[in-house]
Amino acid sequence: MAARARCPECGSGSLVEDAHYAQQQLVCAACGCVLSEGLLTTTYTDEEHLREVAYSQSTGQKEQLSRCLQRGIRRVQDLCKVLQLPAVFEDTAVSYFQRALQLPAFHLVSLEKKELLGGCCVFVACRQHRWPLTMGTVCSLLYARQELFASVFLSLQRELGLSVPALSLADLVTTHLNSFRLVQPTASVPVPFLEDKEQLLARTMAIVELASETWLVTGRHPVPVVTAAAFLAWQSLRPGPRLCCPLARFCRLAGVDLPPPAHLRLRELLEILLGMASQLSWLRGFRLDKRTVVKHIGDLLQHRLLLLKRAFSQQDGQGQQDTAPGQGSGQAPPSSPAVAQRQGCPWAGKQQRGGSLRPLLPPCLIHPRKRPRPAAPSAPAVALTGDEPISDSEIEQYLRSPEEIRAFRKAKAW
Amino acid sequence: MDADSDVALDILITNVVCVFRTRCHLNLRKIALEGANVIYKRDVGKVLMKLRKPRITATIWSSGKVICTGATSEEEAKFGARRLARSLQKLGFQVIFTDFKVVNVLAVCNMPFEIRLPEFTTNNRPHASYEPELHPAVCYRIKSLRATLQIFSTGSITVTG
Repeated sequence: MAARARCPECGSGSLVEDAHYAQQQLVCAACGCVLSEGLLTTTYTDEEHLREVAYSQSTGQKEQLSRCLQRGIRRVQDLCKVLQLPAVFEDTAVSYFQRALQLPAFHLVSLEKKELLGGCCVFVACRQHRWPLTMGTVCSLLYARQELFASVFLSLQRELGLSVPALSLADLVTTHLNSFRLVQPTASVPVPFLEDKEQLLARTMAIVELASETWLVTGRHPVPVVTAAAFLAWQSLRPGPRLCCPLARFCRLAGVDLPPPAHLRLRELLEILLGMASQLSWLRGFRLDKRTVVKHIGDLLQHRLLLLKRAFSQQDGQGQQDTAPGQGSGQAPPSSPAVAQRQGCPWAGKQQRGGSLRPLLPPCLIHPRKRPRPAAPSAPAVALTGDEPISDSEIEQYLRSPEEIRAFRKAKAW
Repeated sequence: MDADSDVALDILITNVVCVFRTRCHLNLRKIALEGANVIYKRDVGKVLMKLRKPRITATIWSSGKVICTGATSEEEAKFGARRLARSLQKLGFQVIFTDFKVVNVLAVCNMPFEIRLPEFTTNNRPHASYEPELHPAVCYRIKSLRATLQIFSTGSITVTG
């Protein structure tokens, strides 16, 4: 509508825009003459010019992200919701995912790998915020193979240059025991099997620390160690009705999976405990086995530092044991009870038993399964340079004779 | 281990990987038919050929690229690669031994002490990476040497690069 400079009725120049029932009108302020009226309805063409918020700017923001990225972000968010992670973890994981997907290493990989990439971002975010989440948990949620998850995780770590802190064993123990169903009475758990959560946690933590001091944790998957330690802690807190319960039944009652190496870790822990029990003075008269030693775990853990020193030889091993009795009798001053105790009684006691102290080493060194590596070949009499002449006779052994070739051809191997 | 003790460490090279090109197309079927000690993997399009002396395994592609593994020194790897090229020449291919390059050397060393991996990793970040759920060893990368060390709790160290 073109605004008129003057009112046609009175010639006044004071014209105002007024809205009457949402209809724009140009009215003369002097005489009230309506010079022009707006349209009550607008056409699409008019709206196109009057829009304040463009469609693409309002709901179209997500259209700027590719479909793959949107799906991946949604998957990361769903994973964070299932794991009940705080919002900051989700933001971190989403930012890692967006950064990773822009890199050539992840842009053209398969959909399966992109889904694992989202899981890896969540896993890395949890580890950076000290949230104990294991790879096994993430793989089970994504129905993924652990080998593929591992390769994507290592690639993500390398490409983005992320620093991923180590998994804290103490946090893992706390989280793992939180999922146990032995702390509340249920229909499937007998009353003698119920246990107080705090006591179970404290004892399990002590057994896990003992395991880490005795080389049972280094280089091993942490969950089987924690499971075996929790089982021993649970049995030791009330041995009477619980000694007859095997590890598999314990895991079923607790509602957790039984990892296959847990039996081996349990056996190793019991071996360590039996070694320590042999040094506890009030247990020396008893013949303990792997069932009865469980009753004394509390005492063993209370004195574990001293018992470990007495029961196992440290790094110097056998040499120290052979020389110690001789030195102890000649040189140890009688006023030093600690020295006498260390060099006198334990060695004498051990010598009476007729055995030497077991060295405190990783179990794979004590019970080697592999054949020993063959000795390094001696240096050849004539050092190779790589450019020696090659005779035809040496090459003939790698070629088939014509008769053999005819026989293979006849057999039509391909 | 005392600082004053003079312990010699044996570093044993267990594998040397090298590549070379023959600058000609290779008929894998002919190699599989006329060569001895040969495995033909038709699905992946390569041939494996094993030599007795030196004890190496060669992977041969039809493009003429050959990868040799199993040698215990760089000189042995070159000698084995030349022997292989000569074998291919005898089979009738116009082989030219070019672009020989040692791409990887794997060595093993044993420390006379055990190593506590979690503490080692904590003290050696960011070079050291330890994921017990994946691998029992610490992966220690030296970027300047482009080398990777796998450090086990038993004291065994594998150097690759």
